[in-house]
Amino acid sequence: MAAEEEYLEAEENLEAIITRIEHKSRKIETLLKQSKPVDALKTALEGSALKTRDERCKSANWIVVHRAVMAIKDVDGMISSLDPEYYDILMKYLYRGLATGDRPTCDQCLRIHEKLTEKAGLGCILRSLSDTVNTV
Amino acid sequence: MAAVAVHQFAECITCHAWSPDQSMVAFCPNNSEVHIYKLFGEKWEKMHVLSKHDQIVCGIDWSLKSNKLVTVSHDRNSYVWSQEGTEWVPTLVILRLNRAALCVQWSPKENKFAVGSGAKSICICYYEQENNWWVSKLIRKRHESSVTNVAWHPDNILLATTSTDGKCRVFSTYIKGVDSKESESSSSDLKFGEQIAQLDLSVTWAFGVRWSPSGSILAYAGHNSMIHFIDDVKSNPSAQSIPLRDLPLRDLLFLSDRVVVGVGFDCNPMIFTADDTGLWSFTKFLDQRKAAPSSSRGSQLSEAFGKLYGTSKQVPSNDTVEPSKPRGGAHENCITCIVPLWKRGNTTLCRFSTSGLDGKVVIWELDIPK
Repeated sequence: MAAEEEYLEAEENLEAIITRIEHKSRKIETLLKQSKPVDALKTALEGSALKTRDERCKSANWIVVHRAVMAIKDVDGMISSLDPEYYDILMKYLYRGLATGDRPTCDQCLRIHEKLTEKAGLGCILRSLSDTVNTV
Repeated sequence: MAAVAVHQFAECITCHAWSPDQSMVAFCPNNSEVHIYKLFGEKWEKMHVLSKHDQIVCGIDWSLKSNKLVTVSHDRNSYVWSQEGTEWVPTLVILRLNRAALCVQWSPKENKFAVGSGAKSICICYYEQENNWWVSKLIRKRHESSVTNVAWHPDNILLATTSTDGKCRVFSTYIKGVDSKESESSSSDLKFGEQIAQLDLSVTWAFGVRWSPSGSILAYAGHNSMIHFIDDVKSNPSAQSIPLRDLPLRDLLFLSDRVVVGVGFDCNPMIFTADDTGLWSFTKFLDQRKAAPSSSRGSQLSEAFGKLYGTSKQVPSNDTVEPSKPRGGAHENCITCIVPLWKRGNTTLCRFSTSGLDGKVVIWELDIPK
């Protein structure tokens, strides 16, 4: 009985996460239309459910972040206005992007990776590689 | 305010310890021996070679009051060496381990020592007068993986451990007959092997646990380039986790309740200080490098990522990565061990030594603001 209840609760949570991601996606489209790519990226990164193990949630969030990442033109400006608390999460998404193998995505991710590493240091990369609990 | 002396002793040093009067240093040059060198004026001379172990000696500690050396090795054994005349006489301590021993430390009163091992257990060894030998008591529970570091609380009973399962644990090592019962601690806490606390702050391997001199703060480093400070572990733990900019730390040392030195893969000691509210933060690197910090960091990164980013600043023509080039600092490779050097009469610590994989022992001195 207890296991079933837990299962239902987990599903509910997943639904809540997916809804939140959809909500984020709409907000990001609005921000991009207003030519605010940095705010769009911030919106995409915050509230990412890193602890969930569900692949659908992770993919959904990745799609949203990917959309915001590809829209960035001024990388230096974006990095300097990003809060340090998002460095680690952004680095994890950059590695996910690099893993796709898709040429435009990889080019963009590499461009941002260079600047982010200069700003955040090697520790940021280490944290993104070694964290097996909070994954993207 | 930096490196006072640099000595190249070997190709690689696993661990080191100083004699009580700091005239002699014992270290393991990455083999099964322990070398003891003494300083005569300006020159270091090899005085003794202790070779009882069969495999790498990974932990050495020299007790300051009783002048005994304890060594532990990957061969699952431990020896306590006492100096009789000009010779060092070993006493085998049967640890009853079935995996390598990884670290050792004398307790503050020097009547016990703790050994962390790859057998997911800790051995607490104490001297039994009647049989004239060292007895080992094991704490087998709780650890899910190898124990990398152990640290004694100033009260001689609590022991903190870090493990490759990412957790830091505090145990009670009260032994009847060896430890006297303190009236303020409750009897339930005093049971041998009882886990007082478990800290899950790190998801990655944990290293370098230390207690502050007063015993109120616990610090340890995670392999994900983070350092954790925990206040008041026993009753009301409150933690601070500081992400580091660069590479992870391997060992820590408290210089006072407010200052911590961390050493690790950056080959440069890092200073952390706590302000008046108890908030910890990174202050600075100790070593003054010859190149300006920003340009050296840039060149270090472009070396590593040069080929990746398509530029070729200092990348060699062949595909192999060049071995670690000397970057102008005291240490050229990872620093694995940091040992305090107390000055007689001083209550605050301002001298310590570090040893690393480059085979150097470097002595550092700094002024600590009161």
